[in-house]
Amino acid sequence: MTVSEQYFPQEPTAPKVVTSTIPGPESQRKIKELGQVFDERHAYFVADYTKSTGNYIVDVDGNVLLDVYAQIASIPLGYNNPALREVAKSDRMIRAIIDRPAQGNFPGADLAEIAGDVLKAAPKGQKFLWSGLCGADANELAFKAAFMYYQSQKRGYNAEFSKDEQTSVMANEAPGAPELAILSFENAFHGRLFASASVTRSKPIHKLDLPAFKWPKAQFPAYQYPLGDHEDANKKEDARCLAIVEDIFQNWHAPIAGVIIEPIQSEGGDNHASASFFQGLRDITLKYKSLLIIDEVQTGVGATGAFWGHEKFNLSPAADIVTFSKKFQSAGYFYNNPQITPNQPYRQFNTWCGDPARMILAGAIAKEIVKNDLVRKTSDVGDYLYAELAKLAAKYPKDMQNLRGEKCATFIAWTLESGAKRNQFLADMKMAGVNIGGCAEASVRLRPTLTFEEKHADILVKAIDAVLSKK
Amino acid sequence: MLTASSRRATRCLGQTLRGVTTAATIFPNEPSVPTVNTFPGPKSKQELASLARVYDTTTAYFLTDYYQSVGNYIADVDGNKFLDVYSQIASIPLGYSNPKLAELARSPQMVNAIVNRPALGVFPSTDYYEILSQGLLSAAPPGMDQIWTTLSGSDANECAFKAAFMHQAARKRGDASFTAEELSSVMLNQTPGAPVSTILSFSKGFHGRLFGSLSTTRSKEIHKLDIPAFDWPVAPFPQLRYPLEEFISENRAEEQRCILELTQIFETYPKDIAAVIVEPIQAEGGDNHASAWFFQQVRTLTKKYNVLMIVDEVQTGLGTGKFWAHEHWNLDMPPDMVTFSKKVQAAGFFYSGKIGRTKEGYRQFNTWCGDPSKALLAKGIIEQIKDYDLLARAAVTGRNLYDSLAEISVRFPQVSNLRGKNRATFLAFDLPSGKERDAFLVKCRHAGVNAGGSGARAVRLRPGLWFEGKHAEVMLAVFEGVLKDMYK
Repeated sequence: MTVSEQYFPQEPTAPKVVTSTIPGPESQRKIKELGQVFDERHAYFVADYTKSTGNYIVDVDGNVLLDVYAQIASIPLGYNNPALREVAKSDRMIRAIIDRPAQGNFPGADLAEIAGDVLKAAPKGQKFLWSGLCGADANELAFKAAFMYYQSQKRGYNAEFSKDEQTSVMANEAPGAPELAILSFENAFHGRLFASASVTRSKPIHKLDLPAFKWPKAQFPAYQYPLGDHEDANKKEDARCLAIVEDIFQNWHAPIAGVIIEPIQSEGGDNHASASFFQGLRDITLKYKSLLIIDEVQTGVGATGAFWGHEKFNLSPAADIVTFSKKFQSAGYFYNNPQITPNQPYRQFNTWCGDPARMILAGAIAKEIVKNDLVRKTSDVGDYLYAELAKLAAKYPKDMQNLRGEKCATFIAWTLESGAKRNQFLADMKMAGVNIGGCAEASVRLRPTLTFEEKHADILVKAIDAVLSKK
Repeated sequence: MLTASSRRATRCLGQTLRGVTTAATIFPNEPSVPTVNTFPGPKSKQELASLARVYDTTTAYFLTDYYQSVGNYIADVDGNKFLDVYSQIASIPLGYSNPKLAELARSPQMVNAIVNRPALGVFPSTDYYEILSQGLLSAAPPGMDQIWTTLSGSDANECAFKAAFMHQAARKRGDASFTAEELSSVMLNQTPGAPVSTILSFSKGFHGRLFGSLSTTRSKEIHKLDIPAFDWPVAPFPQLRYPLEEFISENRAEEQRCILELTQIFETYPKDIAAVIVEPIQAEGGDNHASAWFFQQVRTLTKKYNVLMIVDEVQTGLGTGKFWAHEHWNLDMPPDMVTFSKKVQAAGFFYSGKIGRTKEGYRQFNTWCGDPSKALLAKGIIEQIKDYDLLARAAVTGRNLYDSLAEISVRFPQVSNLRGKNRATFLAFDLPSGKERDAFLVKCRHAGVNAGGSGARAVRLRPGLWFEGKHAEVMLAVFEGVLKDMYK
């Protein structure tokens, strides 16, 4: 029996579409109802999660869709995973839900164990954990850590704040509120709160009308595909982009306390870069004493063939901060330098300092992944799927351009001719029984769960073939 | 030890709830008095040291055993049991181990929400409308019937800021679409796409610690140091004298001064001000009150200058004898947005009309757009509050408690500026210095009461809604003992 068969004996064997449109009539009614009180205009359909199982999401009209989008890449182990359901019913979870602690002031007796279970999955070289609530929050907490670290290195870790710093900060002015920057990359996505939106460079609609910090932006490598045919050109592209980073460090008017980067730019279009590009970036951050923050919000937790996407780069030394959210359900960051913990209490602090209910779930998710060897299995399924998609790409070269994510497990994407064609493709796929997501202007991204297996891949490939052949 | 007069006062606290469901019914195993053996205990010290190897514990008071915490009493791992009037920084609404919330936490609906967390914006769950309409929206502030859900108070405030910026830009833009210049400049974080627009906050305000919210937070240096901030305006918040009824004309003059300064800022500040954010009672900043008149003026002025008014009810919500503290103001026009978190457990903001809804999609958007498990918990909390009329009861408990504290402050002049009259148990008082306040809190903990401070030298009371007269008696006896120890 495969892992998905063990988890989900009742998982459907095929999608079933029973309405002539998606959203169907009942979804439309419920979207309208919810829309009276909650901005619901983006809803694709209304889901019945009690009926959804494994890799299949069920909507209120009874449509059963193979889900390779998985709540924008955030469902790790399939719907109604029985192991997670057990955890959800445990005394520890009930306690975490009803007696939610302010973990900074009144940590629970079981926090060491809960945090320990999360840390068992920490990226190589990371020792400490700080918890937040979502990806944007995790990244902004990491920025705060980077800014406090930068100033503490300048001031001396144990040095006192100056009088000038203490008065100016209350007016939001330097030197107490210094002008420091975080460097990010073109097409990056790191969240939508004010600092995270300042480093997000994906689409204007994510940023318009919001005041932003004037922080620098470097170029992310834009490779030619297939990679094997363009090694020289892509190497040159790496060098070009690293030179831009170096130039910014030398010329930006304010100190750059940290650099944030995704192992694979996801919202921005599934843009990949080589291990040597990332090592080059690591070297530059060391040279300029800036922290390297790896944003693993979408790439983390097993979907790219490693538990964390950047582990494949074998960075030396390890990244300074690694942020996570989405498939881990919990959010926060890992780090390894004890001086990244602020020198005084109540600096990296807030009411809840995370949520044990979500941390317990993260620990359980990590345990299931290890127990069932799901990183390796997902990697194998990804290889199989990629080979099948490569055949389709040969058959439909216009509709499947720049197929990418080879040897990145199921973290696969490709590009269509236009945004309109991409959107039509996504809609057609739903009617063919597959819930699938897009990214950037004209790309399609696959973000299935870690219980997605060859049999699911076959259904997906068949549906893509059917949709594209009708065009 | 209680004096005769405070004994009289507290006896009447104990009698207010006879004949109805009380904390004793809900929490049959709640201790009747605190127990403190060794504090801080050896187990707490040892296990915190071990936790510190992976997690920053420098702010921890003690290691808590939530399994042994019941009702208004919090237990630590050494078996100490404290009466808790701090409640996880004002965020536990209905006591520890609340059996009705436990039942809800075990329900299939909660299990579903925990294990199948939806991206609510794109794949909402079939029960989200019911959870919101029967829960949070059933307690919505007057004049508000729309909601956006988030994850924390900071997040709620920042999403409200985003709504304000987008609304104001849309108002100016009218029916026009984004210009090519806006679309290109925004990707460089430059104007006009990323405009120079601001949020005005008040001195001593606390609105969170992410970058937008922290820029409006003006409570303490340590909250802000070394973090880049937006250059946004700050207006003075009235510094009133207490008890309010004894300083009516002085306080009105102070509020007039602040309103005048606010008007000046609206008239002369060189940048756009999209919104004003204000707490009904500045909580972290030291429990600073202002009158309904002051807030009405703020509402009038914001309307006049086309500035949105965001009321931050993160700490005051559910805590002042009404669902929302700004309901005490009787505003002619409701605020534009009201943010919440903490005791509601869920977070987000209420609004009416179109303010929270942009013309274009995917602007107020993120992966999860909230958390149904927390919204479901909020529904359970609101139901319990209504079922047992807990807001009105907290108002009575608080009124009596205020009187007892007033009586204590007569005998101990070091206890000054008692405040929060007619705001249920949302009470605070000052001690002569921050050092004495800190010493008072430590001594209280040793004597079995876990209380919190705020501002420079305030003690703030933030008990849950099952805090009754009998708990007030225990707290008052401890306070009195500690004050005697310190000052007599």
